[in-house]
Amino acid sequence: MSDEKQENSSILTWLTVIAFLLAMVAIFVYVPTEQTEGAVQRIMYFHIPAAWLAFFAFFVVFLCSILFLWKKEREWDIYALASAEIGVIFCSLVLITGPIWARPIWGAWWVWDARLTSTLILWLIYVSYLMLRYQTDMGSMRARFAAVLGIVGFLDIPFIHFSVLWWRTFHPPPKMISSEGLGAGMDPSMVSTLLLSLGAFTLLYFVLMGQRIKVEMMRDEVERLKKDHLYSN
Amino acid sequence: MSRYFSQVMTIIWKDFITEIKTRELFSSMFIFALLVVIIFIFSINLSLIKATEVGPGVLWVAFLFAGTIGLNRSFMLEKENGCLQGLLLAPMDRTALYFGKLVSNFVFLLIMEVFTLPLFMVFFNIDLLPHLLPLLYVIFVGTLGFCAVGTLLSSLSANLKTRDIMLPILMYPIIIPIIIGSVRMTGQVLAGEPLSSMMNWVSLTLCFDIIYIAISIMVIDFVLEE
Repeated sequence: MSDEKQENSSILTWLTVIAFLLAMVAIFVYVPTEQTEGAVQRIMYFHIPAAWLAFFAFFVVFLCSILFLWKKEREWDIYALASAEIGVIFCSLVLITGPIWARPIWGAWWVWDARLTSTLILWLIYVSYLMLRYQTDMGSMRARFAAVLGIVGFLDIPFIHFSVLWWRTFHPPPKMISSEGLGAGMDPSMVSTLLLSLGAFTLLYFVLMGQRIKVEMMRDEVERLKKDHLYSN
Repeated sequence: MSRYFSQVMTIIWKDFITEIKTRELFSSMFIFALLVVIIFIFSINLSLIKATEVGPGVLWVAFLFAGTIGLNRSFMLEKENGCLQGLLLAPMDRTALYFGKLVSNFVFLLIMEVFTLPLFMVFFNIDLLPHLLPLLYVIFVGTLGFCAVGTLLSSLSANLKTRDIMLPILMYPIIIPIIIGSVRMTGQVLAGEPLSSMMNWVSLTLCFDIIYIAISIMVIDFVLEE
C-alpha cells in the first residue's frame, strides 16, 4: 500500500473517532430525554444507524456481486466479502438493540412484527452467505457462488418485506422519513443527533471496509508467496 | 427453438428413467413427508386446536422438508461418477440443463405432494375434495417457486463438501416469502373462501416464481462453469 493511501486511511480513521466522540456527547448530554419512553429511547441513536448501515452494506454486496460476475476481478469479490461481514455485524447489533428497546416499551423482548421479522430473515440470508464462503475453498468457484447468492439474496428483500408486512405488523412507522417531510414529529435536537450518529456510523463503515480489504489482500499476498516459494521447488 | 426444447426433454427423460429404475427418490420423499405429518400430529393437541388452523402449516412443512431431500439428490446424483462433467461437456445450453432439472424436480415433488394429500386429509379430518382445484393451484405455484430457487441452489451446493447441510441453510431463508404465501393461501382455501379475496398473495407468489426463474437463467452459467 502506498504512503498516500495510508495517509488517507488514517485521516478517515481520525475523522471517525472525532465523529463518534461528538455523537456520544450529543446522545448522552445534548439531546433531551424523550417524555413518554424515558432514557431507554436513547438506544434509538444506535439502533437506527446500525440498521441503515446493515442495509447499506447488503446493497454494496449486491452491487459488488453483479460487478464481479460481469468483470471477473478479484477486487469485487473482496469488497463483497468485506461488506457482507460488516453488514452481518451491524445487523446483529440491530437485532440485539431492538429487544433491549422493545422490552420496556412494548413489554416483550420480541414480537413477530414485520420489520423485526424481515431483519431476522435478512440476517439469516447473509449468515448463510458467509457460511457458504467459509465452506468453499479459495478460488474462482467460491467467488462465483458467493456472487450468485449475493444477488439472489438481495433480490429477495422486496418479497420478504411484503410477505411479512401482510403477515402482521406492530412496528412504529418510520419517524425519520415520513410523508410529512424529513424528521417531522421529532424534536429538531433529536433529528440532528440522529443525523450525527448516522454520519459517524457511515464513516465507521468505510474505516472497517478499508481494514477488511487490506487484511484480505494481505492474505492473497501470503498465498501467492507460499505458492512461489514453498511449493515451487 | 425445437432443438432447445429437445435438449430440455432429454434431461427430463434421463431423470425419469433413473427414477423409474431405482424408485429411490419417490419412496424416500413420500415416507419422509408422511413422517413429518405424523410427528406434527403427536406434537400438537388436535382436540384443542382447530385442524384447519394448523393443517396448512403442517402440510407445507412436510412438503418443504421432503422436497429438500429431492432437491438435494438432484445434483448430488450427477456429481457422483462425474456425470455433471459429462452434462457440462455435452453441446447444449446451460439454461437447458437448468430447465430440465427444474421440471424433473418439480414433477417429482408434485407426485409426492399428490400422494401425501389424501393421507393428510385422513389424519387431520379435513375434507379437501370441495376445494380441490384452488388447492392444487396453490400447491402448483408454491412448489414451482420452491423448486426454482431450490434447483439453482442445489446446483451450487452440490460442489461443496457439506452439501446436504448447506442446501437447506442457503435455501430456507430465501424461500420464506413463498412459504408464508402458500400457507396463507392454503388456509384461505381450506376455510372455503375464494382465492380472489387475497389477490395480494396470489400476485406475490406468482411474481416470486417468475422473478426467480428469470434470475436463475441469468446466473446459472456462472454456477455451472468448470
